[in-house]
Amino acid sequence: MTDPRSVGSAALPRLVGARVARREDPRLLTGQGSYVDDHRPARLLYAAFLRSPHAHARIVSIDASAALALSGVTAVLTGEEIARASKPVRAASKTPAVKVTSFPPLALGKVRHVGEAVAMVAAESRYVAEDAAERIVVEYAPLPVVTDMEGALEAASPLVHEEAGTNLLVAREFARGDVDAALASAAVVVRERFRFHRHTAICMENRGCLAEYATGSGTLTLRSSAQCPGIVRDVLSDLLDLPENRIRVVAEDVGGGFGAKASLYPEEIATCVMARRLGRPVKWIGDRREDLLATSHAWDEIIEAELGLDRDGAIVGLRALVTADVGAYSIYPWTAAIEPVQTISFLPGPYRVPTYRGRTRGVATCKTPLGPYRGVGRPPAVFVIEGLMDRAARRLGLDPTEIRLRNFIRDEDFPYKSPSGIVWDRSSFTGSLLRAREALGYDAVRAEQTQARAAGRWLGIGVASYVELTGIGSAIPVSPGMPIATGTEAATIRFDPAGKVTAVFGVASHGQGLETTLAQIVADEVGVPIEDIRVVHGDTALSPYGTGTYASRSLVLAGGAAIMAGRAVREKMLVIAGHLLEADPADLVPADGRLAVRGMPDRSVTVREIARAAYTGAKQLPKGLEPGLEATRFYDPYYGTASNATHVAVVEVDRATCQVSVLRYLVVEDCGRMVNPLIVDGQVHGGVAQGLGAALLEEIVHDDHGQLLSGTLMDYVVPSACEVPWMEVHHLETPSPVTLGGFRGMGEGGTIGAPAAIANAVADALAPLGVEVAELPATPERIFRLVARATR
Amino acid sequence: MKPPKFEYHAPRTVDEALALLGRYGGDAKVLAGGQSLMPLLNFRLARPAALVDLNRIPSLAFIEESGGGVRLGAMTRQRTIEFSPVIAQRVPLLKEATRWVGHLPIRTRGTVGGSIAHADPSAEYPAVLTALEGEVVARGAKGERVIKAADLFQTYLTTNLTPDEILTEVRLPAMAAGTGYALEEFARRHGDFAIIGIAAVVVRDGQRCKTARLATAGAGPVPVRLRAAEEILERDGLGEAAIDAAARKATELVDPDSDIHGSADYRRHLTGVLTKRALVRAMGVARG
Repeated sequence: MTDPRSVGSAALPRLVGARVARREDPRLLTGQGSYVDDHRPARLLYAAFLRSPHAHARIVSIDASAALALSGVTAVLTGEEIARASKPVRAASKTPAVKVTSFPPLALGKVRHVGEAVAMVAAESRYVAEDAAERIVVEYAPLPVVTDMEGALEAASPLVHEEAGTNLLVAREFARGDVDAALASAAVVVRERFRFHRHTAICMENRGCLAEYATGSGTLTLRSSAQCPGIVRDVLSDLLDLPENRIRVVAEDVGGGFGAKASLYPEEIATCVMARRLGRPVKWIGDRREDLLATSHAWDEIIEAELGLDRDGAIVGLRALVTADVGAYSIYPWTAAIEPVQTISFLPGPYRVPTYRGRTRGVATCKTPLGPYRGVGRPPAVFVIEGLMDRAARRLGLDPTEIRLRNFIRDEDFPYKSPSGIVWDRSSFTGSLLRAREALGYDAVRAEQTQARAAGRWLGIGVASYVELTGIGSAIPVSPGMPIATGTEAATIRFDPAGKVTAVFGVASHGQGLETTLAQIVADEVGVPIEDIRVVHGDTALSPYGTGTYASRSLVLAGGAAIMAGRAVREKMLVIAGHLLEADPADLVPADGRLAVRGMPDRSVTVREIARAAYTGAKQLPKGLEPGLEATRFYDPYYGTASNATHVAVVEVDRATCQVSVLRYLVVEDCGRMVNPLIVDGQVHGGVAQGLGAALLEEIVHDDHGQLLSGTLMDYVVPSACEVPWMEVHHLETPSPVTLGGFRGMGEGGTIGAPAAIANAVADALAPLGVEVAELPATPERIFRLVARATR
Repeated sequence: MKPPKFEYHAPRTVDEALALLGRYGGDAKVLAGGQSLMPLLNFRLARPAALVDLNRIPSLAFIEESGGGVRLGAMTRQRTIEFSPVIAQRVPLLKEATRWVGHLPIRTRGTVGGSIAHADPSAEYPAVLTALEGEVVARGAKGERVIKAADLFQTYLTTNLTPDEILTEVRLPAMAAGTGYALEEFARRHGDFAIIGIAAVVVRDGQRCKTARLATAGAGPVPVRLRAAEEILERDGLGEAAIDAAARKATELVDPDSDIHGSADYRRHLTGVLTKRALVRAMGVARG
């Protein structure tokens, strides 16, 4: 752990905080990006996967002879064959709360969800590969299908994983104090059974990968549309029994990830095995149907929760039972615990909750595995706690903002340890809500609502405040019980003799603008123009050890490492400059690309002269100073840091069609010291758009046989530009007291706040009918039913 | 998502196209704008032996006034219709409906003949053809025949065109000056297929309603003419009570299916809501 106070200040603090236009955009917007599918090495083979049509079935036999007989087909791989070349994936856990189960790269023995990869074809073109996949004859013996997460817990339920002996893969509890007594004596108890339906990420670029195995050197290169090249490299080494220094994983440009590309996928393993077996490059590019079937899904939780308050509206206790449908497999490295455990971790929200018991259950079913998705656990948690706060406010006759202000962790309470053990550093819970009220013109909008209601219109205002944990260091795993270390990231900052800088990171940008924000930090630290900095990321062969980009960590961890490495380089520059100028390094000041002796602007050297000297050798350097001008530093923020916001939605529900229109949307967020407000705004916009999808539109639907009904983008309804409202984004900057630079992570926040704010606004609009919103997305169909029931 | 192998033909004339269809004996598909057929091919839901592409037959793309109506060549793009002065003047309901068809890139490729021949019951053009009592012209080996809208649509994605026929032309009666019209549609997302759409046409004579035409999109396997609702208006005029009664009647005349976007109950409810909205707006436009 590095004490933030020990690192000093930046050389030229001028770019951090500026609205610098994204440096990667000209490349990406003119089609000059370098995505997996842009690469076509010589002798390339194209892969297609045969996927299971059954949700649960035993594989009796697989006959690939007709596929292999097709002209242009090179090879077919099945589960049994791949089992000889790769271990099955086992997302291990240090906690007994998680039952460890196997995830074979190609189905072995039985299939557990529709869309599970059963066989892989490599052929001269994707067309031929798909023709061949159709000709593989698989005999299935259908098994009883497990689709209902609560039914799956009954003793009579069929098992998804026999080795577990139960469908209950995750069971965990967090508790503080005597919640039962607190609720029994509470003046008011509100309770609800909440349902947050299944969701998926929908990246602009589908998943895909390209594996090349160099038989001469025994090295494997995997290009993958992945967020975590470091994690993929490490696990492939284990699965394929290849040393890590012979595996290179490259994730150059990646078209969105949102968490769904943070896990290891079967196709990555199978593509590597196929390439190694054939000695030819093999590429698989997932299509949209495969993406909807076989990229991890999200959320899918039932949350029964009760909140008790005293007569003044102060919380006395919170009790909850979370049940999550984690799907067919425990995903690597996060395990099936990531969603259900995060939900009970964050359920108490930014409030003083004196007594708490959150129990969670992760249940295996015959559906696509659940994985991380922007917000992880927090969108459902915030939907629940903020929904309960509004219900309590209605019961107590309090304004929804007032009840929050009465319960927020107060400024004098920080650092505050939450009932689940998270420590919140100094944040702006109260400040963000007050600012949101002011920016909205809260009282005026309430008056407008009164008038609208008198005119028979269903207008509602919804507020949601949340706090999340970002930039997590080594003290706690990103996902509970996860065995891999995710607490550090590194930066290498290297000057070349011409005075230009290459900054290399183990994180991997997939849309966050890290090539810009990290360059801003580096520019300030080493004192060169941003144009002279090249940021390299997403390539395990080039970068120092790291894992990747997930969990709102990259700016905090890689940014902190950049500060440390930058200052180390800077220190050496001063020493060299002092030598060249025959001056004390302490007397040197930066001046327009040079270092000059204080008060003597004519006595100066340029950055370029310093860099050249660094590589010229002994004559140019102080005695005993090692040549070269570069530094690698690792940063571990240890606990991580809080990040908070208040969202406000103003909506109108059409009385006739029950369609929700978002009339205004306002965010007051606090991500500490902002590196680039333009990029912060963009992250909020994108996050809110996805949160709005969760609130109103997007839902993965299966039938009772486990067949996916929302298997196209016609049926899985993501918001388009027409559905996303204009957003007003306001910033508070409470520098984090515990991270280098004072940064807090903020990539996920938009998605965390929006479902709750919109749900609360819809409920507020329908309050005259006595209707509560307990199920998301709040589709026109669902609102139609709620209204019909209330007005019957 | 790659189609299985198929032959591809790009004939220059309708006769050549018909000869090709004959040669494949029902195992060829006609390619117009491709906005529905290409996804079906890519999903391998359609597996024709051949595609007969009409895009290089110039004689199939036209908009002409003729007699009391407008003739549209089957390959006329939706984008052309959207900006055609003839359509704006003579069949303004079609212009209005076109704005609801997909998005700009889809309308740029999509054609009037393709949309109608594809017979998606949630699409706008079949509803307009039904409301206006239009006709299509089909050419086959045995010559040409004219099919009335009411006879064309059989069930989901199915018309009474035979596999060796090509829909070559769409004929719509001109709407008399002063005719009221509106197309109301409800979808969860802009540009999506309608959960319910209602095309309405009213010809006013003072407070009386000389003619009312109502047709649905999304309310069953084929576009539905809401004749009994039309009769209420033709009998009782266009007052609020009559419109309410017609909208109520409309909900009784449809038998929609449920899917993940809306239940039958909700679609029936929407049929009433949109019928009323369409009639109110149509009446506002109508003169006479």
